[in-house]
Amino acid sequence: MPALSVTGLKKNYGSFSVLDDLNLQIEKGSIHGLVGLNGSGKTTTIECILGLQAFNSGSITALGQSPKQLHLTKGKLVAIFDSPSLHPNLTVRQCLQHALLLCEKPTRSAPDVEKLLGVSRFSDFKIKNLSLGNKRRTSIAQALLGDPEFVVLDEPFNGLDAEGVDDVLELISTLNRDHGTTFLLSSHQLPYLEQICSHIAILHQGKISHSDTISNLLGSTQTTLQIKTPEIEAASKVLEKIPGVELLSIDADGYLNISISDSDSIAINQALVENKIPVAELILKRASLAGLFREITSGDAR
Amino acid sequence: MNGLLVAIKSELFVALRTFASKLIVAAPALIAAAQLLLVKLTEAGQQARDSLLGGSGFEQSVANNAYGFFVDGLSTGLTMLGLLLVAQGAYSFSYERDIGSIRHSLIRRVSRSSVLTAKLVHLHLLALLSVLLLLITSYLLSGMLWEYGAIAEDGFELISEQEIREEIWLGLRLALVPLPAAIAFGLLISVSAQSATQAVTTALGITLAIDIFKGLLGDMANYLYASFQPSLIDQSYLQSVSRIVRGYSDVLIDDSVLQLNMWVPFPALLLFFAAGLFIVQRRKI
Repeated sequence: MPALSVTGLKKNYGSFSVLDDLNLQIEKGSIHGLVGLNGSGKTTTIECILGLQAFNSGSITALGQSPKQLHLTKGKLVAIFDSPSLHPNLTVRQCLQHALLLCEKPTRSAPDVEKLLGVSRFSDFKIKNLSLGNKRRTSIAQALLGDPEFVVLDEPFNGLDAEGVDDVLELISTLNRDHGTTFLLSSHQLPYLEQICSHIAILHQGKISHSDTISNLLGSTQTTLQIKTPEIEAASKVLEKIPGVELLSIDADGYLNISISDSDSIAINQALVENKIPVAELILKRASLAGLFREITSGDAR
Repeated sequence: MNGLLVAIKSELFVALRTFASKLIVAAPALIAAAQLLLVKLTEAGQQARDSLLGGSGFEQSVANNAYGFFVDGLSTGLTMLGLLLVAQGAYSFSYERDIGSIRHSLIRRVSRSSVLTAKLVHLHLLALLSVLLLLITSYLLSGMLWEYGAIAEDGFELISEQEIREEIWLGLRLALVPLPAAIAFGLLISVSAQSATQAVTTALGITLAIDIFKGLLGDMANYLYASFQPSLIDQSYLQSVSRIVRGYSDVLIDDSVLQLNMWVPFPALLLFFAAGLFIVQRRKI
């Protein structure tokens, strides 16, 4: 049974269709990233999954429960939202003690998770007096008091400093590796997702346009090389003869763009030097999630 | 059932650590105490003026019976409590939705209906504590500032203390019966509104509007739960009790109105709460 199964999800705001036949499967034990442009419906998707708002049609099952019955999972599914969602007049410790009431079988104590998330020294601070980063750490700490099987995070890196981001990435990685915790992360921070996720789903025009492992997704995209040379025509002729090289374009700045799926930049540089073609710049652009995302969503930025 | 218990524990955990709940419990008693002290000060001033002007030292033994002031204190406190409960009911759900904390409860352990029921229970507990504190404060302070006694004229007992206490008990019960409906009304507004600010202003606005317009409704007002709770334009039975225990004999209360007072608020409570449950199941959180 998958941790999450979304089939044919449709959601309209009035006459505006946000999600149109969205399908998504998340296997247990995976770390699944959900990416999309602003307004693409990531938060709406998460809110529908969590039963926080109704949807027009489709079906959603998370840990075997429908969104309206998620409370029956008794804390096996938890969520961390883009806003901290904590009582501003409670202290950090009180917030964690409050969350303990909602855990059927707490596996960690409040001081333990405070230490884990680095908020021990703020434990007597009221939430309203904390920085956004520390509110977020507290929010994550609150979610980890039980032993959740499935954690949904909406923009978990917002407001965190570099150290905080590293801590959260490390925590996700450890929980996934040691406890088999499944994660669904919605974020605009594509490099972080590329670093941590096993799978990525790209939400575009109301649908999941791509959903696969990162290696499979990036395998279908090209690594490109930009070459700046005063002898573009001569360089093109030399490069055409190298196996695995495909000439793509010459841009307005005088860069020759080539795809090098079966070759490497060293061999290309060597071939140009041997043919006495001067090279001013050689820029390698590796396949990346950001590149793939731009490619899929180009021309549709809202 | 387990979910409901968790929701109630969660409500109480937050209530014990926040200011709003303490305010609801203490404010009615404090305002009643302030009223009694001010009345005593005014009365002392009046007596001093009378003696300076060579007054006869006329003893208003009837009007100064502590029972009258005790009932006045209760009436004032319950007026405030009614407004506070409506406001807090309206604030509770909408505020937690605004800050997002309610999402954690819903996802982890409790259903939407349990959350709303827990809030209803929590507000009733607050109301109970507040009424108890109000009763104790008003009774003790009235006893310290004036004297409790039977209503007597020319040495003849018109109304015994036992009868006075029975009237006060009846008035108190009739004044308390509408409070659950007021709480449920606040919660209904809370689940319907877009924000906590909107919820509180709407709930208080409607409550005050009902208070103003109930006089224009004539007998129809007897079918409104709010007509029977002590309020700014007070038509509650407690207002009549205040006159009865001061020895006024012109108080005529239609028994059918007392029956309506006893029974109208219950269907109102059920209606408001059922509507609240219906809305909370459907709205975005």
